[in-house]
Amino acid sequence: MHSSTHDTQSNPSNPSKHSKRIRNAILAGSAVVGMLAVSACSAASTTNAGGSDDKVTLAQPSWAGAQANIAVAKKLLEDELGVEVDVRQMNETAAFTAMDGGQADAVLEDWHGNPKQLKTFVEKKKSVVSAGELGVKGHIGWYVPKYYADKHPDITNWKNLNKYADDFKTSESKGKGQFIGADPEYSQHDTGIIKNLDLDFTHVPSGSESAQQEEIERLYKAKKPFLTYWWTPQVLQNELELVEVELPKYTKGCNVPVEKADCGYPHVDLEKFMNADFAKNGGDAAEFIKNFKWSNEDQDAVVNYMTQDKMKPEAAAEKWIKENKDVWEAWLPKK
Amino acid sequence: MSAAPTETPVTETPVLDKQPDTTPGGGQSDAAAAVKGVPSRGPGLRARFAGSPKALIVGMALLFAIVTAAVTGNGTWPGGLEVDVKTPLTDLTDWLSLNRTTHPVFLYFLLHISNFAETAYLSLVDLFAAMGWLGVTVVVTLVAWAAAGADLSRRALRTGAIALGALALCGVLQMWEPTMETLSLMTVAVIASAVIGLLLGLASGLSDRCERVLRPVFDVMQIMPAFAYLLPLMLIFGIGQPPALIATVIYAVPPMARLTSLGLRAADPAALEASVSLGATGRQQLLTARLPLARKQMMLGLNQTIMMCLSMVVLASLIGAGGLGDRIYRAMATKDMGMALTAGISVVLIAVLLDRSTAAAGEQLQERVSQVATRAALLLRRGVWLLALVLFVVFALFGTALGQEAWPEAWSVDLTTGIQQGVDWITRELSFMANWSDAFARGVLNPVRSGLIAVPWWALLLLVAAVGWAVGTWRAAMTGVLCLALIGALGLWDASMDTLSQVFAGLALTVLVGVLIGVLAARVPTIERVLRPVLDVMQTMPQFVYLIPVIGLIGQGRAVGVFAAVIYAAPAVIRITTESLKQVDPTVLEASRSLGDTTSQQLFKVQLPLARKGLLVGVNQGVVLVLSMVVIGGMVGGGALGYQVVYGLSKQNLAIGLPAGAAIVCLGLMLDRLSQPREKHGGR
Amino acid sequence: MTDPNTNTAKTTEPTAADPAAPADPAAPAFAVRDLWKVFGPKADRIPGDPAHQALSTAELREKTGCTAAVRDVSFDVRRGEVFVVMGLSGSGKSTLVRTLTRLIEPTSGSIAMDGEDVLGMDKNRLRELRRRQTAMVFQHFGLLPHRSVLDNVAYGLEIQGVGKAERRAKAQEIVEKVGLAGMEERRPTQLSGGQQQRVGLARALAVDPEVLLFDEPFSALDPLIRRDMQEEVIRLHREEGRTMVFITHDLSEALRLGDRIMLMRDGAIVQLGTPEEIVANPADEYVRDFVRDVPREQVISVRRAMRPADAAESGSGKELAPDTLVVDAIEAVASSGEPCRVVEDGRTLGIVDHERLLAVVAGIDGTLADTEAVTV
Repeated sequence: MHSSTHDTQSNPSNPSKHSKRIRNAILAGSAVVGMLAVSACSAASTTNAGGSDDKVTLAQPSWAGAQANIAVAKKLLEDELGVEVDVRQMNETAAFTAMDGGQADAVLEDWHGNPKQLKTFVEKKKSVVSAGELGVKGHIGWYVPKYYADKHPDITNWKNLNKYADDFKTSESKGKGQFIGADPEYSQHDTGIIKNLDLDFTHVPSGSESAQQEEIERLYKAKKPFLTYWWTPQVLQNELELVEVELPKYTKGCNVPVEKADCGYPHVDLEKFMNADFAKNGGDAAEFIKNFKWSNEDQDAVVNYMTQDKMKPEAAAEKWIKENKDVWEAWLPKK
Repeated sequence: MSAAPTETPVTETPVLDKQPDTTPGGGQSDAAAAVKGVPSRGPGLRARFAGSPKALIVGMALLFAIVTAAVTGNGTWPGGLEVDVKTPLTDLTDWLSLNRTTHPVFLYFLLHISNFAETAYLSLVDLFAAMGWLGVTVVVTLVAWAAAGADLSRRALRTGAIALGALALCGVLQMWEPTMETLSLMTVAVIASAVIGLLLGLASGLSDRCERVLRPVFDVMQIMPAFAYLLPLMLIFGIGQPPALIATVIYAVPPMARLTSLGLRAADPAALEASVSLGATGRQQLLTARLPLARKQMMLGLNQTIMMCLSMVVLASLIGAGGLGDRIYRAMATKDMGMALTAGISVVLIAVLLDRSTAAAGEQLQERVSQVATRAALLLRRGVWLLALVLFVVFALFGTALGQEAWPEAWSVDLTTGIQQGVDWITRELSFMANWSDAFARGVLNPVRSGLIAVPWWALLLLVAAVGWAVGTWRAAMTGVLCLALIGALGLWDASMDTLSQVFAGLALTVLVGVLIGVLAARVPTIERVLRPVLDVMQTMPQFVYLIPVIGLIGQGRAVGVFAAVIYAAPAVIRITTESLKQVDPTVLEASRSLGDTTSQQLFKVQLPLARKGLLVGVNQGVVLVLSMVVIGGMVGGGALGYQVVYGLSKQNLAIGLPAGAAIVCLGLMLDRLSQPREKHGGR
Repeated sequence: MTDPNTNTAKTTEPTAADPAAPADPAAPAFAVRDLWKVFGPKADRIPGDPAHQALSTAELREKTGCTAAVRDVSFDVRRGEVFVVMGLSGSGKSTLVRTLTRLIEPTSGSIAMDGEDVLGMDKNRLRELRRRQTAMVFQHFGLLPHRSVLDNVAYGLEIQGVGKAERRAKAQEIVEKVGLAGMEERRPTQLSGGQQQRVGLARALAVDPEVLLFDEPFSALDPLIRRDMQEEVIRLHREEGRTMVFITHDLSEALRLGDRIMLMRDGAIVQLGTPEEIVANPADEYVRDFVRDVPREQVISVRRAMRPADAAESGSGKELAPDTLVVDAIEAVASSGEPCRVVEDGRTLGIVDHERLLAVVAGIDGTLADTEAVTV
């Protein structure tokens, strides 16, 4: 150190003390690590508070249909079986991670959006098991608003899409037509479709479902043309009139891998999943969730109470339960 | 800005006699000379280039980049120079998924951490529930009052009132339960961050070697968008509070550590020497002199750490943290704007509560240095602390008997419908803004992006090197070039150029808005006063709350992200601008007035040039803040790197999410180094 | 080894310090020999190398990148004296005083305190030395802002491990001694600069050190307050007779306080002697320049100004002690109207008349003194 000010020199951190301090620090550090190691000799428990017996944790994805499932299930579990229910907001993929780790016991509606996780947790690790079908059929597809399809009826076939591509141009679509992509979490192979069917469209992804909904509603209000990823059942299905664009028929495996995909989407039988331990030891609650099965109409009814009548999910569930005793009685475990 | 409220009689009188001899006092005539020394207009461009070889080289590099871009047209990073990171990352994801609950590393180490975090969180939730709403409100209010001095001074009373008001409002807004969850998360996260930050700060404050190692680590931690590490943490720790808490701690440790280190290093050398000269051992010196002398900085660090914890705790609801963030997240799913905004307001209230209490506590500590409290005040303060403690115990044991666990329903107001209507009205009435955003995207974002993509990669590297060398050192140049090259090697060149174009546009807007409002606030005290709560809200309101309605206004796309970035980053720039303008030597300003400068002359010839350094700091902070928010724009159609991180996060796909996260860090480091005024500044 | 720059007649020849000898009550408070402090890369090589030693500070820096703050310095500090080290900034005086207790490690040489080798002390012994034998007063006070005046004064005792009640009682005593009574509970920031330095002084006194070290303690103070503080130091020294090493760049301060003054320039000693010797007999042009404006009559005594008495004079005239300052002699001569006798133990040593006294005031006594001054 060239500086001739004495302050720096008078500082007691001269080299020898300095290295000594470091040595002390290392000693202290290793002592802490040692203590940790001793305390860690016992294996940590892998089931957390979320998976305790008297409480069921349900993972709730963001869309309204799933909220309807949960609201009804929660109400019945609490009122009829006396089981406390904890609802945690998480997306499909996260739900599987949570079921694997025991932070969630069950998910009531899975769209098979992440085949890789199914393979990992259900097939390989067997930490998550199927709890049967929900009864609701889901469908994904490409949609345009009805006011646009009325004007150009032939757009409902993918072969004619390029003809109208110019109508769909936006500032985000890099000179081609804009295709509004889905929340990244959802199952989709739209980039493959666009590429392999040589469509003059750019896949402009939505970052989240709510963002996509908001965008579609805005365009719908302004009566502008748009082409979007969409699905049923969906909250907005009664507010917005959309028309599906027919894509090449789905055959098993035609969408794997995404880069090679050249087909539309299948109709999915939505499925329930559970943590494996919960399925075995969950008692009545697990039994109830396995039995939980309703139709598109049932789910729509609850969704409509929530969205059109602006009821809180709990109130909507209560109303449906009051009116459909025959449906849900079958779900209760046989005594 | 025609009527300047700061104008005083001084402006008129001395105009008549401009002879320097008549200026009273030597200092003033010096100042007058300084004013004259400020050039009325910079020297011509050519003269500047000739005078500064650095500017010349940057200019040449820029010209070179433009020419080569025009010639080649597309300058993306060649595929041959890319490195495949996808395969190993995919394997890693699979391995983590399969072994997370069974492998010894998890069983004997990581799971202990996450179980501990979860247990701590759950016990706090139980504790708050046991205390009941009455207990929590009373104890928190008392603690806030005590921390601010426990007397009848304006500050202490105001702090107590803010605490009481904030909690009560959260209750009234029917957000009591999630607020308690968020407070529990905050308590665990703040304690952990403060302790770890303190230890790291001690290490880097006392040892130069530690400092050298830790400083770049803190840099990266601060620049790295929290988004980027939520994913790996989720893969390791699963879903829920543990990964959320750990992410929060990672995010919030740097300010505490940095400011502790700064405080230790900035301690009065004379006091330290005095301590040594009296024969103090290292430990005695640390405990009696160094640490107490660093107290002010440490309080500042704690305050910043707390604020960062809060923003992260909200964001971490994406991986299941619960609390207010979860309410917002859930409300967004059903597009329940009313609920989202009420939860957002609660977050802001908690932020104000925590910020004002810690700031008041810090001021109070400082004040104790300058004046000794009377005996009575001291006794009162101790009494209040004791009372708070006693009440805490009493409520913890019998709280629910005294009051209900949750805020009484009768005392609450449901604002959600009103808010929803308000939002609808705004969306309807302001829909013309969609055209603006479209024009912005076409007229600004698109050309900048095409330009960046057109510049050949090697020309851009050269330009970064030139700028880095010109503004900083060869080290800044090296860092910038390495970061950019790494981005190319990760195969994310085009996406990064897209993100970069958004950052540039956002930065330009932020600086424009920030400096403009900052200047106004510096000149008109009323504006500054009114602005303060507005800025608080802009900085602490979770972005999600307003991002979605903004889509309804201007449509999904990059403009939304840029808009959010401006909202998020502008407050910092405004504050720094105001501060640095106010710090301009008043004698210089006085001299300028005495020379008869008009308001705008004062501003452009004196204040802005003299406040340049502060403004540069503002730009540097703006860059980092804009980047972090542009990335969040990935959730609302911003595309580019942000979208890839969101994709990776929601699909738990390390192969997509991690490289994109790394690219963002690289962009951040590069931008930070290229915009850093030469002196290194302490905590942000 | 004598310093090449020191061509003055030193009043004391340093006695060789024996590092092996035990603490010796007869030994000087500090005995410093051949001391070097060099800052810079590979500083060790400089002191031993005659080629380097010959270079000036600027040349040395250019050639080696090293700065010699203290160059080959040897001196003794006697017990009970006020030893002033004087020099302009950059002369190495602050570094020198810090090497005495190894706040700065010297590069080479030896230091003995009370005959005990300071450089050979281990860490604990050195700490003991700093705790009990020396205490330092700093230019920028170095007070702890978060402590009250009383706790600042008691700080040294706290470091020593003295119990709270005892150290506060002791501190209270000292606080009163330095005139801060009634301010015990204030914080340093509430005090004026002079008061703060009184706290610094009290803190040093509280540990009852053998030697007080002052590093330009008053140079940050206003002139009037500075004078007060100097009086304070003089008073303390008179009352307690503690050894003091006092660093200053202010010549008048040095002359006021110093029993002996060591003048430094570029790290080396230029001259060491009593104030009178330095003013009357500057060692070189540099010192001469320095003392040019000193009111000589206030420094030089009649012993130096007198001429031999002839037989006629030795019986009559007013008597003056040899230490009488010229300024006082002028008064005596003027009032009596005749030359005065300088008398010691009843013996007349010489005569001062107004011619001799005027010569002192005019600064032309040096030539006279060289030829005619009486050696006593």
